[in-house]
Amino acid sequence: MKTKENPMTDTPSSVEKPTDPAIESGLERLTPDRIQQVIQDVLKKETGPRFKAYVETCMHCGLCAEACPYFLSNDRDPQFMPAAKVKNTIWEMLKKNGNVSKDFLRRAVRISHLECNVCKRCSMYCPFGIDIAYMMLLVRRICHKLEITPQYIQDTVNSHSVTLNQMWVKDDEWIDTLQWQEEDARDEFEDLEIPLDKMGADIMYSVIAPEPKFQAGLIYQAATMMHAAGINWTMPSTPGWDNSNMAMYTGDNEISGRIARAFFETAAKLRVKRIVMGECGHAFRSVYDMGNRWNSWVMPPFEVVHALAFYHELLTEGRITIKEKYKKKVTLHDPCNVSRGRGLHDKAREVVNMVCEDFVDMVPNREHNYCCGAGGGVINCGPPYKGERMVNNRVKAEQLAATGAEVLIAPCHNCHSGLEDIVHHYDLKMEIKFLGDLIYETMDKKIYTPGA
Amino acid sequence: MSEKTSWDWETELKEIPFNEWKTHFNWVQAPQVSQNGESIAAVVNLDEMVFSVCVNGQVWEEEYEKIWSLTSVSDSGFAAFVARDEEWTLSVNGQEWTHWCDFIWQMMKSLDGQFLGAAFQTDSEYGVIVNDTPWEDRYENLTGAVMAADGTSAAVVQVVPMPGADVEAFKKGVFSVACNGVPEDRRFLNIWDISFDTAGRQMGYGVRTDRESYGIVQNDTLWKNRFESVWKPEFLDENSLLAPVRINGKWQLYKNDAPFWQNKYDQLWHLTLSPDGKDVAAIVSAPYGRWRVAVNDTVWHVAWDTMISDIYFSQDGSSLAAVYKHKDVWDLAVNQTPWQMAADMVFVPCLSQDGSVVAVVIQKKGQYQLVVNKKTMASGFSFMADPVISADGSKVLLKGIENGIYKRRIIRV
Repeated sequence: MKTKENPMTDTPSSVEKPTDPAIESGLERLTPDRIQQVIQDVLKKETGPRFKAYVETCMHCGLCAEACPYFLSNDRDPQFMPAAKVKNTIWEMLKKNGNVSKDFLRRAVRISHLECNVCKRCSMYCPFGIDIAYMMLLVRRICHKLEITPQYIQDTVNSHSVTLNQMWVKDDEWIDTLQWQEEDARDEFEDLEIPLDKMGADIMYSVIAPEPKFQAGLIYQAATMMHAAGINWTMPSTPGWDNSNMAMYTGDNEISGRIARAFFETAAKLRVKRIVMGECGHAFRSVYDMGNRWNSWVMPPFEVVHALAFYHELLTEGRITIKEKYKKKVTLHDPCNVSRGRGLHDKAREVVNMVCEDFVDMVPNREHNYCCGAGGGVINCGPPYKGERMVNNRVKAEQLAATGAEVLIAPCHNCHSGLEDIVHHYDLKMEIKFLGDLIYETMDKKIYTPGA
Repeated sequence: MSEKTSWDWETELKEIPFNEWKTHFNWVQAPQVSQNGESIAAVVNLDEMVFSVCVNGQVWEEEYEKIWSLTSVSDSGFAAFVARDEEWTLSVNGQEWTHWCDFIWQMMKSLDGQFLGAAFQTDSEYGVIVNDTPWEDRYENLTGAVMAADGTSAAVVQVVPMPGADVEAFKKGVFSVACNGVPEDRRFLNIWDISFDTAGRQMGYGVRTDRESYGIVQNDTLWKNRFESVWKPEFLDENSLLAPVRINGKWQLYKNDAPFWQNKYDQLWHLTLSPDGKDVAAIVSAPYGRWRVAVNDTVWHVAWDTMISDIYFSQDGSSLAAVYKHKDVWDLAVNQTPWQMAADMVFVPCLSQDGSVVAVVIQKKGQYQLVVNKKTMASGFSFMADPVISADGSKVLLKGIENGIYKRRIIRV
């Protein structure tokens, strides 16, 4: 696309591959027997007809390749084809009955954690709908049991296991932050309340830990919307408030289940009717698909409403009205977990059109959208991997640049952070906003009156 | 609630004009009702950053910058966390504790109201305070605080410093349990769900010993068996600890490190013991995705598709009630019989001592109702607290707000 000084020309080989101390020290401790035993145990005890069907059905046609942003971003390098990622990880483990080397595992960790976002785009291009993300998560499960998970995401899971939130937010810090936001938001509405532990509220509002840690203003905005819309809502003061779940992405299914249990049982304890969650995609996957099912909840025991659907409800019911539409040209990124995973893309567009004057779609879009490159736990593997993450997201940068939009709406935390990096790295000169940012900015700050 | 025989069970109706408070204060927060129903209280705003607590129309003398966690304590009182000059303490009926700290949370109260406790933080050091007496030892991190009936307190504490993102240090185990502030010697990767026996002398809890091994600690001794996961243990008696454990993807109930129930379930949690200790109940999933109550390893014949949130025994152990959700509506079942209320929400049921009377508050279309033995006794309320049944089981105490008036009503069964 441009000259050598331009990041568009970076290639995987031009980016330094870091050494991860957690992977290396984990590999050092492993013995061939241990490796084989863990792989055999996982394949024998934790897989079934689903895995067998996938392995036996794949025709190696390669149609999945065109689906993968990693493949497209790396000049169609065959090693980034989803089928190749499977071949170079789980198939080999299966073929060799778990008798694989440490060098093989070092590569398998990278493929499964850093070269696949488990975004499931490839499944749509597979003639048989093979869920390649499931197989990559199976590799991560093996890495978890072998204790060779990358350092930063493992620390995140350690935080989950201790605090039930992903950022080591202490109990008092959480409550203090809510009270601080409540106090600040009283500049807008003097009687605004962030009700803590209100029994029998209609809605429990839940967020992910980066909000109290770094983005407390998002809680402020949500509280303002709830108050203006006259919602009977609450937030829990106890662990279980964080709906995120990185354990789901490292294959630590036991901690993942513990997180999801705490989340739903917090709602049950507060006797709320439904749960509204902030703009996060993977958290939705955790409570709607994976974490709940580990606990034997086939479907979530409470209705879980993603922010996109909630905004749609508030605006279409007239609980929030837009004073003046947002003027700048905006585009919308569809997060995989709420678009491909839940089908919220059309509602999202309706909300954007209710709030913004000038909307341009990116191509491809909706469930065919390219991944942000950060989700699936990839960005959580930390700063050491940022360089290659940027290379692996070139196609996303090209897609964004083609829109000519001034503002990129990213209604998911991981997408938001990953796209920030892309916009900065590729010098795209776009502002990135949550949809809530725009609604807050454009809404009429008045209290909803039924029938008015 | 041991003194509920002394409560007024004769006066049929007492009223307090709650909504009228809104004309006296800038705003009034959600109400709390005392256990005996004689008092209703709320945090009220008096001015910018000036709050107090209003009880039956009377405002506490002291004013605060912030107040939260207003809770009923003992028969007729209220406690709340209060802040002044950016320092926090607990106030009971308007009387502040002498110890102030940088933050205070997680109010704990003994059933008889004799002990009140909380977690606190001062200068980034964490501890537990019970009846205004803080732990002497403080820690850099504290989670899962609990308090026994006799005021003994415990929590999971970090006893070894751990630099950020140091996964190797975490692997060695940096957490221990501190009881009354004193840490145990043994450290683990994780510790969850501390349980006391009824006397407050024995402790049990779940632990993780390495990346994928879980265990149970009973009175400072780690069970020999390791499991794929564990849930909260409960003492059957001072010598017997029960715990749900996961083996080969299924859950089973263990006692003192050996199988206690023979059946294995897709889920098994919320161990609940009858007060006489004869029966053990739990919420189980069997088969996968179908929720049932199991009593002594025998499942109820009824199953529900969404969730059982909690289960409760009567004092004599003869009745067991389950709050559950099935096909998008909430309901209550008593001794396997669903009440078929199709409610939007079911709150915590109250069972008479002999189990013959069950009273529960439900919500339907935004309104609260009181249901006693399947029969709707009152409806159209904008708020109701959980009901209480008299010691002889002949009367139910309704505590709710109707048309802006708080009503304490005695209903004969």
